[in-house]
Amino acid sequence: MSEQTITTEEAATEHETGGISIGRVGLYATLVGLVGFYLIPIESGLVTSIKTPTALQETFPFLPPAGSGITVEKWQIAFDYLAPGMVNSMLFTIPSTILCALLGSMAAYGLTLVDWRGQIAVLALFIAGIFVPYQAVIVPLFQFWSQYMQLGTRLSFLWGLPLLEPHYATILELIITHTAYGIPIVTLLFRSQYKTMSEEMIEAARLDGASVWRVYRRIVLPLSIPMFAVVFIFQFTQIWNEFLFSLTIIGSTNDPAASATLILSGLGQSLEGTDYPLRMAGAFITALPTLLVYVLFADKFAEGVQT
Amino acid sequence: MAETQLDDVRKVFTEDDGNEIVAVNDVSIDIEDGEFLVLVGPSGCGKSTTLRMIAGLESITDGEIRLDDRVINDLPAKERNIAMVFQSYALYPHMTVRENMAFGLEESTDLSDDEIATRVEETAEMMGIDPLLDRKPEELSGGQQQRVALGRAIVREPAVFLMDEPLSNLDAKLRAQMRTELQQLQEQLETTTVYVTHDQTEAMTMGDRIAILNDGELQQVGTPLECYHEPANAFVADFIGEPAMNFFDVTRRNADGDGAVLVGETLEYAVSNDITTAIGDRNELVLGVRPEDIDIQHSDGNPRRADGHTVPATVTVVEPTGDENIVYLDLGEDGSETAIVTIDGMSRIEAGDSVVAHIPEDAIHVFDGKTNEALHNRRVESSEPRAPNI
Repeated sequence: MSEQTITTEEAATEHETGGISIGRVGLYATLVGLVGFYLIPIESGLVTSIKTPTALQETFPFLPPAGSGITVEKWQIAFDYLAPGMVNSMLFTIPSTILCALLGSMAAYGLTLVDWRGQIAVLALFIAGIFVPYQAVIVPLFQFWSQYMQLGTRLSFLWGLPLLEPHYATILELIITHTAYGIPIVTLLFRSQYKTMSEEMIEAARLDGASVWRVYRRIVLPLSIPMFAVVFIFQFTQIWNEFLFSLTIIGSTNDPAASATLILSGLGQSLEGTDYPLRMAGAFITALPTLLVYVLFADKFAEGVQT
Repeated sequence: MAETQLDDVRKVFTEDDGNEIVAVNDVSIDIEDGEFLVLVGPSGCGKSTTLRMIAGLESITDGEIRLDDRVINDLPAKERNIAMVFQSYALYPHMTVRENMAFGLEESTDLSDDEIATRVEETAEMMGIDPLLDRKPEELSGGQQQRVALGRAIVREPAVFLMDEPLSNLDAKLRAQMRTELQQLQEQLETTTVYVTHDQTEAMTMGDRIAILNDGELQQVGTPLECYHEPANAFVADFIGEPAMNFFDVTRRNADGDGAVLVGETLEYAVSNDITTAIGDRNELVLGVRPEDIDIQHSDGNPRRADGHTVPATVTVVEPTGDENIVYLDLGEDGSETAIVTIDGMSRIEAGDSVVAHIPEDAIHVFDGKTNEALHNRRVESSEPRAPNI
C-alpha cells in the first residue's frame, strides 16, 4: 500500500519535471524578469544613497559603488534633517490611525448590527464621504483651522505645561483632519466584515443580558481584530505618506510641526542642483515606518484580508 | 420557571413598498409552568417569529405576551430572563466553552466570579461537557457545539427556554439521541420550554403539548395524541403523521335507509347515522384516513365486500422500511386517485398486485370541504391499558 503511493508520487514528479519543461522555463524567466523590473528602482535608490559625489558621476545608477566610493554620510544628514519631521509624523499618524479604526468600527457596528430608523441615510452620508476629493476640501480646511478654530490661540493656556509645545496645536489639527477623512472608508471596511457576522450570535448575546455597548466590547470588538490589522496598515500608510493636508495645514518646511513628507519634499534640493544620494537616503528613512507596520501586523493582516 | 401567556399576539411586517405582511395572526396560547410546548408548522408559518417575539428580538404589533402575569411586550430582550438556543448554536467563536457559558451570568447577574465558575462547572458536568471547558467552539464537533449551546442556556437558570430548531443541524442518529436527552433534561429542570421545529416527528415525540401554526394562524393546541387522532382541521391531520393522512374529496348522497354514502371519484363509502349527524347538511366534504388504518388484501377474485367500505386498488410502489411496508396504491379501476397504506413488514405484497383496500368506518375523519374544519374524527379507545401479551 505505502510502496504503491510512493511509486505513484514518483511518477507524478517525473512527469512534471520531464513533461512541460519549456513552458516552465518560460514562466520562470518571465517571473525573474518581473522581479528584476520591480526591484531595480529600489536597488538603484539604495546604491545611490551610499555613493560619494564622485562615485555618483562615475558609475551607472544601478551599479554599486567601488569600495572607496561608499559613504553613509548622506544617511546621517538625511536622518538629522528628517528626525523632527518623523517625530511629528508619528505624533499625528499613530493617534489618527487608532482613532480612525476605533471610531470606524463603532460606526460600522452601529450602522450594521444595531437596528434603528434612518440607518440608510446616515450610511449614505458615510459613503459620500469616501468620494470627497482632497482638492475640494483644501481651501475650506485651511480657512476652518486658521480662521475659525485657531487652536494655537485657544489652547494657549496649555503650552506652559511641561512636554507641551505650541506647534502641537498644528499636530492636533492634523490628527482631527486625518481621523475625519479616514472614518468613512474605515467604516465601510468594518461594515463589510460585520455584515457577515452571525446575527444569531449577536441576538444570543443580547438575550444573555448584554447591552448594545457590552455586545460591541465583548463580542464584536474581539472578533474584528484581524480587520483592525488591515485598517492599521492601510490607514497608517495613507496618513504617513499624505502630503496635501500637511502642506495645507502646516504650510512650511520650516514650521516646527513639519511632517516627514513635507521635509522630504525639499530635501537635497538646492540652487546647485539635486543631491540624489541625500534624496534617496531620505526616501528610505521615511519609508521605514510603513514597512515596520506591515511586518508587525502581517499575519493578522492576512487573516483580515481573507474575511 | 414561569407561566407564559400569548394573548392575541400579532406581528405585521411592513415591506419597503408599504405592503403589509401578517406573519403571526392573533395567536393565543397559554403555556403552563414547566410545560414543554412545541410550536410546529411548515416553513414561513410564523413559528420562529412567535418565538422571537417571546424572546424580545422582534417587536409585537398587537396583543400581549405575559410572563407570570406581567406584560413583557416592551421589556428589552436582556431583561426578560429568557434563554434561547439557536439553530446555528450562535456560540461566541473567540471564547472558550467556559467563557461562552459564563458570559450570560457575567452580563445578567451580580454573582461573584467564584459563584459563576462553580455554576458553569456544575452545569458542564451535568451536560457531560466538562472535558471541553477550555476548548474553543471551532475545536468541537456539531454535537458538542449543540451541547454547549444548551449548557449556555441552562447555566443561566432562566424563566423560559426558547429553542429554535436546535437539532436540525445534527445527523439523524444524534438527533434522535438528543431528542430523548433534551426531554429528560427538561423534565429534570422543570423549566417552561418553547420549542420550534418544522419536523412533526420532533413535535410528536418531545412535546407535552404541540401548537400547530400555518400561515401565521394557530390551527390547534393539544397533546400530540389529540392532534394526531382528533385533528381540528385537515391541515393538522395532514401535517401530523408520517406518511401523511390520505384525503379524498367526496360529496354526500343520502342512502335509502340510515346513514349516507360519501361519493368520490373512486370511492363510494357508506357512513352511519352518527357521522351523517356530524356532517349536517354540508355537501362538499373531505374523507381522511391514516395509512395505518387501511388494510389491504389480495383480491384473488374475492368479491367486493358488501359493507361499502372497500375499494379495489393496484399496488404501484412498495417501500420496505423493515418493520413496515409503505404501499402506494392506485384506487379504483382506472387508478385516478392514489392512497398510501402502511402494512406489516412481513406481509408479502408487490408492485402490480391487485388488492382490495378496506377502510374501517371507525377510523375515518370527515372534514368540511370548504373550511377544512374537522366534522368527525376517528374513535379512540386509547384510555384502556394494554393487556399484557402472553
